Amino acid sequence: MAYMTLKDIDVRYDKKKQVLKGLDLEVKEGELVSLLGPSGCGKTTTLRVVAGFIEPESGVFSLDGEDLTKVPVHKRNFGIVFQSYALFPHLSVYDNVAFGLKMRKLDKGQIEQKVKNILEICGLSEFEKRFPQQMSGGQRQRVALARALVIEPKLLLLDEPLSNLDAKLRINMRMEIKRIQKKLGITTLFVTHDQEECFSISDKVAVMNQGVIEQFDTPENIYQRPKTEFVARFIGFENFLSLKKEGNVYKTEAGAVFTVETVKDGDFVAGTIRPEDIRIAGEKEDHNVLSGTVGVRTFLGKSYQYEVLTAEGKFLVSRPAEEVYEEGSTIRLYLPESKLILVNK
Amino acid sequence: MKKRSAFVMIIPGLVILAVCLFLPLLRVLIPSLHTGEYPLSAYVTFFQDEYYRKIFVRTVKVACLTTGFCMVLGVPTAYFISRCSKKWRGILLSVSIFPMMTNSVIRSFAWINILGSNGLINRLLITAGIVEKPLKLLYTDFAIIIGSVYLFLPLMIVTVAGVMENIGDDMMEAALSLGADRIRAFMKVIFPMSLPGIIVGGILVFTGTLTAYTTPQLLGGNKNMVLSTFIYQRAMTVGDWDGAAVISLIMIVVTLAVIKGFNSLAARLDKRGGDHA
Repeated sequence: MAYMTLKDIDVRYDKKKQVLKGLDLEVKEGELVSLLGPSGCGKTTTLRVVAGFIEPESGVFSLDGEDLTKVPVHKRNFGIVFQSYALFPHLSVYDNVAFGLKMRKLDKGQIEQKVKNILEICGLSEFEKRFPQQMSGGQRQRVALARALVIEPKLLLLDEPLSNLDAKLRINMRMEIKRIQKKLGITTLFVTHDQEECFSISDKVAVMNQGVIEQFDTPENIYQRPKTEFVARFIGFENFLSLKKEGNVYKTEAGAVFTVETVKDGDFVAGTIRPEDIRIAGEKEDHNVLSGTVGVRTFLGKSYQYEVLTAEGKFLVSRPAEEVYEEGSTIRLYLPESKLILVNK
Repeated sequence: MKKRSAFVMIIPGLVILAVCLFLPLLRVLIPSLHTGEYPLSAYVTFFQDEYYRKIFVRTVKVACLTTGFCMVLGVPTAYFISRCSKKWRGILLSVSIFPMMTNSVIRSFAWINILGSNGLINRLLITAGIVEKPLKLLYTDFAIIIGSVYLFLPLMIVTVAGVMENIGDDMMEAALSLGADRIRAFMKVIFPMSLPGIIVGGILVFTGTLTAYTTPQLLGGNKNMVLSTFIYQRAMTVGDWDGAAVISLIMIVVTLAVIKGFNSLAARLDKRGGDHA
């Protein structure tokens, strides 16, 4: 049963540029869902629709069965962590975290108890008297998180919260966010353009492109079975060949025959494969084969990576370091049907 | 080395200030401390006189109310301007400074036309049948305050808008997301963050109003004198230069006291001031 639902959301800026095109998304209670995509794909806009900063032109946003599309931001009770953290510089850490509770007119004792509790969960107990500008990036990040969580929000929204931290801190913080999110069991939307960050933290990932969700799935499925060429490219596939369905097999334009494990709907698709899954074809292999010329060779320690120029374009191939092919030589590549993934173009 | 070269650079300005401002000022003010039977007796006499005291109170009242009105009108306006797109911000700021481009005599005459017994407001009120006889609007404290607010509001708007421009939209959004409605978010976040600008604007408006001459002269008339018009009257009409010096020093002290007051208020409200990292 879906807890949070976005249905057929349209957003346009300045009446012209359409940013979200009939976007649908369903999130279960307690899940951490990432919105992943390149800049300009509409992921932050989606988050802002959920937060209430943008009212969609059409479509419905509902939470727990309640239509919230027209409910103003301050009545939604969502915790938001901004990319800039947006801590109030004139307030101490304690007062920053207590802000939301004061707006809810809780009595002083309750506020103190809740603030101290969340500061402890976020590892900030000793900093309550500090001001934001006296703290490091990672500490500010945690204050922002504590401030968003202390109001016991129905939804936690994170807008690229880690992009201002250095690499090492980023890894620590994302584990921290995941730990706190699981501990409190809070449904979370996480916006990011970093796929590693997103895969490591999310229960599910929505890969976005030009205002629509291309694929909404578990990180494992997205990594192993991308559905569209865009998703495949975004998560790092680089070898693509155009295929046309003919009966039970696929053919390239040049006529080479390819078989796959599962046939896909549609006559024109793309096949893709990771560099390490490509083998060298033996004498007996007569299909799933591409021949090409060896181009640039890069030594990667355990293996060599070759650029192979084929009739279908450039292919990256990884081979063990013991096997060496010279630049300019001709080789036949074997793309095993178990490893060849079909994606929509 | 750095300090010394900086010092050399302020010498010309310092010399001009010393020769043209501090020396004449001291020459006028020091004797005023010794006139009369005992030291400071001129000042004691000033505050013992009911008429003088009334002028003093009126001056401070007009300056305080003007500052207050400028804050109430200017701060929301400045916030609005600071949230506009860059293009609109430029246009709106120019429009708000526009009144400053006319001479203050002309601006005060405009108000005489509006407030006078035969002026715009009174004619409207009489035509509408709200009053029978024209109200006395001109030559009152109220007229001075209106004129001064009109005169100094641009200063407040420009100063505060400059500070507010640097407050990101995310501050408002964060406050909203934490359950504050727009007004509370403004009062609890935007307002305290803009205090430095509001304080500077307040000082500019207060000192400006306190020392303004044309506006109170034209809109207050001779019956509603303030310290600045009173100085002129003492010195030029009566020829009592010592009396004028006494009032001048009182004005200087009031100005300094108010600046000090504003600053310590700012320091109290902005706790960051003390233990900055």
